Amino acid sequence: MALNIDQKKLLMTNLIRADEFNRMMYRRMMQGKLIGFYHPAEGAIAPGVAASSFLNKDDNLSPHHRGHGITHMLSKGIDIKYYLAEHTGKVTGCCAGRSAFHFSFPEHKVYMMSGFIGYNFAPAVGWGFAAKQRALGQVVMNCSGDGSYGQGRSHEALLMAQNWKLPIIFFCENNGMSIFSTAMEMHPKPNISSLADGYGMPSAIVDGQNVFEVAEVCIEAIERARTGGGPTFIEAKTLRFNEHDIGTPDLSGWEERSAEEHAEMRDREPVAIATVIALDEGWLTAADIEAMREAALREIEGVEAFADDSEIARPSVESLMQGVFAE
Amino acid sequence: MRTITLTDAIREAIEEEMRVDPSVFVVGQDVRGAIFPHTKGLVDEFGTDRIVDTPIAESGMYGVAFGAAQEGMRPICDFMFGGFSYVTFSECSVTTGQYHFLHGSQHALPLVITAGVGTGQRLANDHAMSIHGTFAHHPGIKVAMPSTPYDAKGMFKAAIRDNNPVVIPWHMGIMMLKGEVPDLGDDYIVPLGVADVKRVGSDVTVLANSLQLQHALGVAEKLAPEISVEVIDPRSFVPFDMETLLVSLEKTNRLVIVDEDWESGGFAATISARVVEQAFDLLDAPILRVTLPNMPVPGGYMEEYVAPNPERIEAAIRAVCA
Repeated sequence: MALNIDQKKLLMTNLIRADEFNRMMYRRMMQGKLIGFYHPAEGAIAPGVAASSFLNKDDNLSPHHRGHGITHMLSKGIDIKYYLAEHTGKVTGCCAGRSAFHFSFPEHKVYMMSGFIGYNFAPAVGWGFAAKQRALGQVVMNCSGDGSYGQGRSHEALLMAQNWKLPIIFFCENNGMSIFSTAMEMHPKPNISSLADGYGMPSAIVDGQNVFEVAEVCIEAIERARTGGGPTFIEAKTLRFNEHDIGTPDLSGWEERSAEEHAEMRDREPVAIATVIALDEGWLTAADIEAMREAALREIEGVEAFADDSEIARPSVESLMQGVFAE
Repeated sequence: MRTITLTDAIREAIEEEMRVDPSVFVVGQDVRGAIFPHTKGLVDEFGTDRIVDTPIAESGMYGVAFGAAQEGMRPICDFMFGGFSYVTFSECSVTTGQYHFLHGSQHALPLVITAGVGTGQRLANDHAMSIHGTFAHHPGIKVAMPSTPYDAKGMFKAAIRDNNPVVIPWHMGIMMLKGEVPDLGDDYIVPLGVADVKRVGSDVTVLANSLQLQHALGVAEKLAPEISVEVIDPRSFVPFDMETLLVSLEKTNRLVIVDEDWESGGFAATISARVVEQAFDLLDAPILRVTLPNMPVPGGYMEEYVAPNPERIEAAIRAVCA
C-alpha cells in the first residue's frame, strides 16, 4: 500500500523525534540523570516509528524495550514528559515515581513495560480477545525483539491468536542480538517470521532501516486486523548500533563486535536512509528536515524541563500502602 | 433457604454474575465440558464466547484473563488444579500483584483466579498442594477460600465484583459438601476480609479453613464435654480479619492454627507472628500450628496421616490447653 505525502511526512517527523529523544536519553544516562539503566535505540528506531504512527488512540500498543519504548510511544501520540519524569523518580511521573524505567499510559492503551522479556505476548492475546469480543475495531500492535521469541509465551500467543483470528500484529524488531548472543545461534532458522508459517499466519519480512517500507506493511496488517482478517507476523530486520545497555560491553558472543561490523551498520542509519528518500522524491527540502530537527529539540527541552523541575517522589510508607489495592 | 453443594454454589455465583454483567467470562481448559462441576452447563447458557477453552498453554490462557482485565472485562481464570497456576506463576504473582501499584495506582486489574486445591484425593503434590499461602505472600493480590456453600457463593460473587485480582481456590475435599444457601434470586455477597466464628467457645481458639475447618468443627464437637473450642474460619487470607481473631483470643487466650500449607513460610506462620507481635499478652500458652510437614505432599494412602487431620488437631488443642 503506497504511502501518501502526509503519511511520509509524519513518519519523517517521528523518526527525527525518536532519534533526538534517544540521544537525550543516552546523554542523561551518561550524566547520571536517569534512574536505572538505558537500552539505547540508535540504529533501531525505524520499526517502532512505522508500527506506532498509524495506530488509533484506542489501539493497544506494547512497545519494544529498546529505547524504553519512547520511539513507539511518541509515535502513538503519548507525551514523553510524564515518562521522563518517571524515569527520574518524580511525582509527576506516569506512575507517580514508583516504577523507575517502567511506563504505563492506560488512557493510550499502553499498559505496561514488562520487566520480563516476552511477558507482553500473553496479555496481548487478552487485549486481542477483548477487542474481538467487543467488536470495536481495535487492533493490538505487539512489538518485541528476536530474543523474546525464545519465550514459550510467544508461541502460545501465536497459537491462540491464529486459532481465534485475533486482531494482533506480531511485530518482531529483529536486530540480530539479545544482549551478547546472536539470533543466528539462538534460533534455528534465519527468519523469526518463519515461526508464523507453522501456525498458518500470514507474515512479511521488511527492511527495518527503511521506515517507509515498514510502514507500508504495517498499515496493511493493521487494516487486515481491523476488518476481521486476523493476525499478521511482521519481521523488520534492523540493527543495534550500541551495546545492549549503557555500560555493558559491546560483544558478539564473548568477543568485541568488529570495527567492520560497526562501519557496515552505520551505512544503514535509518534517518539518513529516510532523508535520501525524502529529498530524492522531493516532498521535503533539507530546510524542512532541519526544521523538524529543531522542533524535536525544542520539544525535548520542554520534556527535560518538566522532569527536572518536578519534585522527587518520596511518599510515606503509609500512603504507599493505600495504593496497593484498587477501591 | 435451599441445600446445595459447594461446587453448585460456585456455579450459581458465576452464572448469576454473568447474567448481570456482560464483561464477566470464564477462561480455562475444558471448562466447557466441566472437568469440575462448577462450570457444568454454563456453555449452554453463555456460549463459547464467554465460556472459553484454550489450548494447554497456561501462560496464554492466563494472558487472556490478564489482558482482558486491563481492557475492563472481569475474567474468571480457572486453572483446574491449583498447582497448574504455578505453570504461569510469574504472571499470576509478580506481574499481577504489581500491576496496579507499580503504575501509580491508576488502573485496576479486576480478575479472579480459581482452581481446585488440597488433599483428600490422594493425588500427590502437584495436584494436591495448597496455593493460598504462596499467593498471600505476594502483595497486591487478594486471597480467600470458602468453607461452606453459603460462603462459596457469597465470596465468589464478591471476588467477581472486586476491582482487584482475587485468588479464590476451593478445596476438593469439600466439593460435594452440602449446605444451606438463600433462595435463587436472593442476591447476597460475603465480603472479602471478614472472618466468621463458625463455633463459639471459651477455652481455645482454632483458626481453620475449608476441609480443615470441617475437621476442626468435628474435633470441637467431640471435645465439647471437656474443652470449649471456638472455631474461626478466616475465609480471607488477604485481607485478613485480625480483629475477629484478637477478640476471640481475649476470651480464650489460646490459639491453634490449622493450615493445609507447609509449616515453613506458610500462612499459619504469618498469623502466628502477627499474634505474637500484636497480642503477646493475651496468650497463656504457645501458639501451635497444625500444617503440612515440610515435604512434598505425598499421594496414595500416606496422605491422610501426613496432612493435617482430626487426630493432629485434637492433639494440638489438648497440648495448648494442658
